[in-house]
Amino acid sequence: MRKCKFEDMIDGYLLNRLSERDKELFEEHYFNCPSCFEKLQARDLIINTIKNHSEVLVQEEVRSKVPVAARVKHELAAFLNPRQLALAGITALIFVAVIIAVVPRPGNNIPAFILTDTETVRGSSITLISPVIDMSQVPSFFEWKKLGDHVEYQISIFNHELLWKTTTKENRVTLPDEVRAKMLPGEKYSWQVKAFGPDGTLIAVSSRVQFLVSKQ
Amino acid sequence: MRDKPTDKIRIEEDIEELMVRYRPIITFRVRKAIGAQSTDCDDLVSEILSQVMEKIKSGEFRGESSLGTFVYTVTSRRIIDYIREKTKVMKYAPEPQPFPDPQETLEQREMSEKVQEALGKLKPKYQNVLYLYYYQELSRDEVASKMGISPRKVSELVNYALKLLRKEIKL
Repeated sequence: MRKCKFEDMIDGYLLNRLSERDKELFEEHYFNCPSCFEKLQARDLIINTIKNHSEVLVQEEVRSKVPVAARVKHELAAFLNPRQLALAGITALIFVAVIIAVVPRPGNNIPAFILTDTETVRGSSITLISPVIDMSQVPSFFEWKKLGDHVEYQISIFNHELLWKTTTKENRVTLPDEVRAKMLPGEKYSWQVKAFGPDGTLIAVSSRVQFLVSKQ
Repeated sequence: MRDKPTDKIRIEEDIEELMVRYRPIITFRVRKAIGAQSTDCDDLVSEILSQVMEKIKSGEFRGESSLGTFVYTVTSRRIIDYIREKTKVMKYAPEPQPFPDPQETLEQREMSEKVQEALGKLKPKYQNVLYLYYYQELSRDEVASKMGISPRKVSELVNYALKLLRKEIKL
């Protein structure tokens, strides 16, 4: 069966990565293409399940790493007897101690953020101020600690997917009414701030903080 | 001229078909726009379907575009109006508590459980790629960098994982 050219837009649409024009084009398309709509529904179910039950994948991710360590241990044990193994361990410890003593340490450790496979930036973290705890109502603004002058902040709010994203030079942003209208009591949301320098380089990223809008 | 009984039956059959075909599509679009938990979803969908039917009966749909495009236009316009109305209301009144349809929630839960089970059966490499790509929402290049593989390989893994999931849950 020939693949519809719009199929490649499904992920972009569900993860809010399409431009406004492409989003409209794709929406009009799936009103006309039963095959794409069927695939869209199926993908939406899968993505929503991953978003809400990531533990299924995280546990497996951790579990998948355990056998590697176990296998190495097993292979070493098969290769060396206990005495040789102990000797190898002590030698490795001495080697590590020498390396730590010899290699100069930088005075200030700056965290690194990997952007893509070719880009890495260094900077500090951003402290989020509000909301960081569960709220009795939908928050009207989001606030974080200012990093300095000439910094542009990008704030993203998520529920199961990206709900809203904007940029500002202030350390506070007021939520537009149309976004507030989408945020409902009893739902969990999370938010994150990224800071960009005057040349557009990413200089800091906050942690992704989750909060619940309590039911009245 | 009055409709003949057979014509009337025909129109009713067409409308029935229209409802069956477009209700899920309109529902999906509405939920994406106003949030799946909104109590207004079902009312809005029914209202849009009624509007579509009225416009077809009154001859407003002249077949210049496809029926799908016509339904899409009516749906989009109504969603924009709804968000405008809602924004005005929200300034003065608190949001009512969500009241999800228990039947629908049950169906969704069953389907979601099937997907969870299928996700659990996948090999770790497929689970990792789905976690990074869909949960962490990393780009294809970022996933490639994290996993130490090429972006093309990321696409292959994601596509194959989705194929395995669809096969497992028979979607």
